[in-house]
Amino acid sequence: MTYGYTGKILHVNLTKGELEIEEPDEQFYRTYMGGSAMGMHYVLKETPAGVDPFSPDNVLALCTGILTGTPISGQSRLTSVAKSPLTDCIGDAQGGGYFPAEMKFSGFDAVIIKGRSPKPVYLWMHHGEAELRDAGHLWGLKTGDAEDKLKEELDDKRIEVLQIGPAGENLVRFSALISMSNRANGRTGMGAVMGSKNLKAVVVRGKMKPVIANPEKFKEMQKLAKVNMEPTGMDGFGKYGTPGVCSPQHRAGGLPTYNFNSGNFDKHEEIDGHKLYNEHLRGHEKDDQNRFGRDTCFSCTVKCKRVSEVVEGPFKTDAKYGGPEYETLATFGSYCGISDMDAIIHANALCNMYGMDTISCGATIAWAMECWEEGKLTLEDTGGIKLNYGNAEAMVKVTEMIAHREGFGEILAEGSKKASEIIGRGTGEYLITSKGQEAPAHMPQVKRSLSVIYAANPFGADHESSEHDPGYKAYPERMKEIGLTNPQEKLALNKEMMRFAMITQHLSSAVDSISVCAFVFGASFQLYTPEQLVQAINAVMGWNVDMEEILQVGERRLNMLRAFNSREGVGRESDTLPKKMFNRPLKGGRSDGYFINEEEWEAALEDYYRLCDWDVDTGHPSLKKMESLGLGWVVADNNELSKVII
Amino acid sequence: MGPLVDFLPNSDRGKAVLNLTNNSTIADMLDKLKIKQRVVVAVNGDEEKGLDHILSDGDEVLVISLVSGG
Repeated sequence: MTYGYTGKILHVNLTKGELEIEEPDEQFYRTYMGGSAMGMHYVLKETPAGVDPFSPDNVLALCTGILTGTPISGQSRLTSVAKSPLTDCIGDAQGGGYFPAEMKFSGFDAVIIKGRSPKPVYLWMHHGEAELRDAGHLWGLKTGDAEDKLKEELDDKRIEVLQIGPAGENLVRFSALISMSNRANGRTGMGAVMGSKNLKAVVVRGKMKPVIANPEKFKEMQKLAKVNMEPTGMDGFGKYGTPGVCSPQHRAGGLPTYNFNSGNFDKHEEIDGHKLYNEHLRGHEKDDQNRFGRDTCFSCTVKCKRVSEVVEGPFKTDAKYGGPEYETLATFGSYCGISDMDAIIHANALCNMYGMDTISCGATIAWAMECWEEGKLTLEDTGGIKLNYGNAEAMVKVTEMIAHREGFGEILAEGSKKASEIIGRGTGEYLITSKGQEAPAHMPQVKRSLSVIYAANPFGADHESSEHDPGYKAYPERMKEIGLTNPQEKLALNKEMMRFAMITQHLSSAVDSISVCAFVFGASFQLYTPEQLVQAINAVMGWNVDMEEILQVGERRLNMLRAFNSREGVGRESDTLPKKMFNRPLKGGRSDGYFINEEEWEAALEDYYRLCDWDVDTGHPSLKKMESLGLGWVVADNNELSKVII
Repeated sequence: MGPLVDFLPNSDRGKAVLNLTNNSTIADMLDKLKIKQRVVVAVNGDEEKGLDHILSDGDEVLVISLVSGG
């Protein structure tokens, strides 16, 4: 009897058209717990060093976790890992919805995909079986249309589909994997990797529910969701969703505006969650948004997803493509100086129908806008489009052009860093990337520990890889559960804040491996505390894990990601922040004049390395650290790595 | 604005004037507003005041919700 997991991992060789099922033992699941760590096990084992992200040899792992599919909030998540075409480092992206739970019900915990199919195919996994099917008729379709066709073809409306859109087919370097036509494994270009393999979709259906070891304890954990809802504020979070933080971010001086040159957006109310809720969520005319305008993931009580629509006008948008998150409202909105909610909803829908990451897409356009404002781009470059800040029509048009790699979109489809290398003319000065990935909408100038995490995170700038600075002081009981008892003053960038960054990074890393939602399980505002995550795992699995073991799973995954980069020759030199964060103070609002002192930042980075047991000169993990995490095999199996990890 | 605005009576775009009894603290104010979740509070721009800080007549208090994701 297995609890939580199915015990089956599907290996797909698309070149040969072969499928194999592996059945790992329980120790394997306890070591990695699923998600990112489990995927990295296969990526490290099966990809050759120096692999081209678009080569058939790149391995794409799609992994659920040990809790996925059990009826508790925040568990229906799936992590995708592969070498990233955006960063040329390791790539990693999480997504939710109903697909992850349904994949578990189909009888598989994970799919490990390699090779390249000679023609477009989709993978159909159902009731413990799997097969590859022709997808020639789906190639080129928008996600919503492809999903409709698959439901018709398989004669089952309850299938779930994780797919690429035309952007993934066109190898746009920040293409996403999309499910439900509105949920994304957004970051680091996992959609382009799937596109390079001629794999259009993974389709799942099944009834094989995971077995729970301790149903009584599990029931208690379910009930806690209701108890925790009001005191954590997750009821309000569910009502307004992540968009509800637009105005608070502005008021704190941390809403990235005009390509990260300010944390203050005068028109923040125009893009805030209140406006979205009151004027754009489906059902708003009858004040019935809670029924028609909010959506959720399998078995989640938070219900934070938006269902928005634009019923008329140039930005008319179908509600099936969901609604913008905070990140999307910022990147297509304040980053670009745009306050037209219709246009942002439309751009979000374009990303979902074509399959693109809204963060990288919006931020790449914002970068191009700053280049335009600074006279580095002309009408000749853009094909006659004026890319000034605030130009909503241009933003929407360019989004569509990127998906099709049409005109100037061909260059922007490379992501802003590669685009700046193609264009030259000093456009690199305006980048907001770390490792070539565009920064999400939380400002390291305002939340200083993020400055080190954005730089040192193995898959580029990321806001879900650690807790943010204000959380340390605001949630002392939760922080104590993970050994953090010494909160620092605002803007501190010292050793204790590096401890905070690293330990919460280990927890976030565990969350991405167990593959649960970062809004539901965590050490600050989330619905469940870290200790309650431990209890939920033990209830489902019948194990006796403690917090230390969970944090170690996170640390193991982080070091696997880091070792992958070491193997690719990527170390400390890539742990950088955008230059503008050091040399250009923010303008306006509560963060007026804020910048990051480079000397102080370098010292903090070195403190962080020492805490991680990574070499201060090279940034590579030490052999001792790798071995202590049971990862000696990663080094021993690879000649290149054994030269740099010592 | 943001999710906290629902707690504010007679809010005008997220702002309101509150009448508190003498010697009310930040914690009293949050209690009166029935805000149970953790928040960042800045009094006249200063974020370092504790929950037991006593508010004075005319203080401008900014209450910001804490969410690190998006």
